Amino acid sequence: MTTAPTDSGDSYALETVEISKLFGAVKAVDELTISIPRKGMTSIVGPNGSGKSTLVNLLSGTLPLDGGIVIIDGVGLKVVKAHETPDHGLTRTFQEVRLFDQITVWDNIMVVLTSRKLFPAMLERTQSSHREKAQAILENVGMWDKRRALAMDLSYGQRKLLEIGRAMALDVDTYLFDEPFAGLFPQMLERVKEIMKGMRDEGRTIVFISHIMDIVREMSDHIIVLDSGKLLTAGEVEGVLNREEVIEAYLGA
Amino acid sequence: MELPIIGDIIRLSRDPKDSLRLSRSNLEFWVNLLIISWAVAFAIWQGVGFAITVGTVFAIWAILSVSLNLVVGFTGLLSVAHIGFFGIGAYAMAILTSDAAYEQLRTEAIPTLGWPFFAALPVSVGVAGLVAVVVGIAFNRFRDDIYVLVSFGFAVIAFNVFLNWRSLTRGAFGIHEIERPAIGGWVFDGELEFLALVLVSLAVVILIAWFLMTSSFGRVLTAIREDEQATEVFGYQVTHYKLAIWVISAMMAGLAGGLFGSWTTFVDPNSFVLMESILLVSIVILGGLATIWGSLLGAMAFVLLEEGMRFLPFLPSEFVGQGRQVVLGILLVVLMLFRPQGLVGRYKL
Amino acid sequence: MLSNFSDRRKLLAVVLITVVTAYIGWKIGQSPNQALQFAFNGLSVGAIYALLAMGFTIVYSTVWFFDLYYGAAAALGAYGVFYLRGQEVLGGQHAVNSPYVNGVFALVIAGVVAWALHAAFYRRLRSRFHPTALRVGGGMLSGAAGVYTGLVLAYPDHIHIALSPLVGVLVALAAIWALQRGCRRIWRDAEHRALLITSAGAAATVGAYCGFLIANAPGAKLYLSWALSCLLAGAVGLALYRGLYVYMRQRARSPLVMLVASLGILLAITAFIVIIFQSTPHPLPEPFGNEPWAIGEATIKGFNVFTIGMAIAGFVGLLLLLKKTRFGRMVRAIGDDEEVSKVVGINTTVIIAIVFFIGAAFAALAGLLSGHDTAIQPRLGLLLLLKGWIASVVGGIGNLYGAIVGGFVLGMIEQFGIWDLAGEWKDVISFVVLILFLSFWPLGLLPKR
Repeated sequence: MTTAPTDSGDSYALETVEISKLFGAVKAVDELTISIPRKGMTSIVGPNGSGKSTLVNLLSGTLPLDGGIVIIDGVGLKVVKAHETPDHGLTRTFQEVRLFDQITVWDNIMVVLTSRKLFPAMLERTQSSHREKAQAILENVGMWDKRRALAMDLSYGQRKLLEIGRAMALDVDTYLFDEPFAGLFPQMLERVKEIMKGMRDEGRTIVFISHIMDIVREMSDHIIVLDSGKLLTAGEVEGVLNREEVIEAYLGA
Repeated sequence: MELPIIGDIIRLSRDPKDSLRLSRSNLEFWVNLLIISWAVAFAIWQGVGFAITVGTVFAIWAILSVSLNLVVGFTGLLSVAHIGFFGIGAYAMAILTSDAAYEQLRTEAIPTLGWPFFAALPVSVGVAGLVAVVVGIAFNRFRDDIYVLVSFGFAVIAFNVFLNWRSLTRGAFGIHEIERPAIGGWVFDGELEFLALVLVSLAVVILIAWFLMTSSFGRVLTAIREDEQATEVFGYQVTHYKLAIWVISAMMAGLAGGLFGSWTTFVDPNSFVLMESILLVSIVILGGLATIWGSLLGAMAFVLLEEGMRFLPFLPSEFVGQGRQVVLGILLVVLMLFRPQGLVGRYKL
Repeated sequence: MLSNFSDRRKLLAVVLITVVTAYIGWKIGQSPNQALQFAFNGLSVGAIYALLAMGFTIVYSTVWFFDLYYGAAAALGAYGVFYLRGQEVLGGQHAVNSPYVNGVFALVIAGVVAWALHAAFYRRLRSRFHPTALRVGGGMLSGAAGVYTGLVLAYPDHIHIALSPLVGVLVALAAIWALQRGCRRIWRDAEHRALLITSAGAAATVGAYCGFLIANAPGAKLYLSWALSCLLAGAVGLALYRGLYVYMRQRARSPLVMLVASLGILLAITAFIVIIFQSTPHPLPEPFGNEPWAIGEATIKGFNVFTIGMAIAGFVGLLLLLKKTRFGRMVRAIGDDEEVSKVVGINTTVIIAIVFFIGAAFAALAGLLSGHDTAIQPRLGLLLLLKGWIASVVGGIGNLYGAIVGGFVLGMIEQFGIWDLAGEWKDVISFVVLILFLSFWPLGLLPKR
């Protein structure tokens, strides 16, 4: 089991029991059992190819599981269907920033706000409540001026911000951010940090992947270290980062 | 106002790697002006009778291309299958309303049902929709080039059914004497009345298309077009959305088919060959992806192209259709090179 | 345990295969002779599909898009033979001989030759000669090639005389190459110049003799027209790649852009064929082996055996080309990663253009073989295109083994399918097979990797 603090079953936002994923003969995730505590920030770290992104893809249903169970908010799932994850209280961003390129920034946010039911959606027009929320989010990520631009015309940093904003538009408990800090200028980086801190202060669970150790140390409350698809160690940040095997995995390799 | 196109072409010939940045509004203005003035000039030159016939043909093609644009332009599924639904609508109309006595023709006989037009039209639409549900469920898993291939497949299968299921469709003989619409004793016999009916149908189709595409549903469709998996992560059952728009679009094509059958009063499989379907896709791409107006422009240009070619001195009249096909093919290549969204499009392929 | 979707799908697939196998087995048991006949038909149709599928596959596995021009290439191949040899069927009269057509192909050939000369020699010779001189020389050479093509096309009756010198030269060049290689291996230290002169002399003799033989052989006209048709269709394919797809691939967001553009090319060329040749079906002149051989109670024409042989020969040739030569290694490298191949110094444009040439020539060969078997009509291109596309998808996209297996499997299924159904349903059968296949084995029979 993990070394993460264990109070009761309900205190975990997200758990996995021996989940696996194979790509051909390669075990990208190998019988991994982790638990992510509710609230606060949890970071997933590990060397390249250690299965961090695959883990996020498995948790969000973007990739099908080859075995094991994912427990989201106390509900055990053998098959995670991507379109049901928001109902379980989970959403994510993508490492390679997957926006809806050829529609406007405004519509990128609106897509997330509108009705999920097929036939009501056909009749639904944009409502003022949606509009207010979209405006609030766009102002929060600082994209309000850009709302009429196509998402494909934005700069890389702006695209990252917009994707985080799009995830925020979905009102769920748990957010998985896949490399939110990669490739950002310091200024943008501070902004993303602030946004994420704001979300944590609202009492949401935030899980993020990062390579930048300073940020991991600064931001996260808990940490999960993966190595070649297996759990290396997990727990409170300070304790874990000073452990020998972690230092070895990062600096020795 | 300066012509932006020529300068851009010169720049392109110097450095083909430089992507062509036409100022969108300028080009669109010229395209609109060209096609509309061309249409008006034609109508004035050739007179009212001509305008009525061409108008009817235009309206039927316009219904088809608007409906296909919902699938190709808004949802991003490059489908070549649409002529199948068009044919299903036409054949439903033909079989239900034809009152020819086939027993006397000594060819394949089919039962004469003799329904009125307005009872058969909903059936045309409905049958096309029902077939689309089955086909759509089978097609939902495919994408990109494989989607193109299987949609070719549906068009081929539909054509073969029209041609070879002789006890239902009379095969290559075709079905004669399809009913013209009538309300009470008032028959839409005249071309003008029929044009009015077709234009009303077109207006209804445009209205439905516009309403759907400006609703939340339409926005989700464009999101699916851009990134299916990302849309799914936000809680949308992508397959349901794709199936829904596919069926709606097929029903519109069925409506066009019903109107077409009734207008020509004769259908045979030759109207529904694969080439027609490819032409239809070219119209949609030519006019512009993901805009309803673009589809109307595309259909207009397509109809005018054929009529315009009749007056080319060096082209024998039996090759007008082929000449149009050549022009469309070349236009398609040029568009893919310089303007992958079509003339006034909002979505680059 | 059928809770899982994929398990249920596997079960369905097994049931389906069992039913089909049982049905075919039952039919074979009922009348083995008829089954043999259907198998023969299936093989000969399948050979044509396999040729097309191989053309698709070699291109798809390099640049990852389906070039729909191959439908037009198949039609061009078949109509090329008709254009050149039509008078034999139509009682001495030319069906068509249009200066415009000759001119267009002359231009295409001139362009391709100019491009080839530029790609092969320009950089090497630039240091020794003035660029203008090179350009003028290349231009004259390619112009001569164009004029030569135009003349050959304009006088199809004398095709054997016009082409025999070219064949002679080609044979001589091949002989020189072979002799040089062979001699080097045997006499490593032989004097270079003497070797060169001897081998050149021998090669010239062989070449001249071959040219002379071809000019006088009885069937030479027909087979030279085959070669010329394939060459022209291939040259058009190459020109399309170099002139269009290169630019599209630099900017396109998705491979669908190229697919749609090639659809436009297909539309235009098909319409041109209708304008030039009318849409009525035409026969092609009879090739050899037209009398059926009886095996048991089934029959097969010698020409069909030749078709099957061509498919297998084409497969072996492509396989050797891809696996054994330097060119093949470069092709596979580009298929793996084009950017990296560029970085390590492969001239990707040239290699891909040659691949397009080979693919289109295969399609043209399939088109003219099927044209000899039945009759030719402009629709032939589109139908063959779809069949070849299906065969390459059924076999496994981008896999050469899959292409030939897929072609034969599709041909067999089609022929056995129309045993009980009427023959006009065979297009429907092949598409139903496609959709079933893709539903159960999305990657085809033999997936790539």
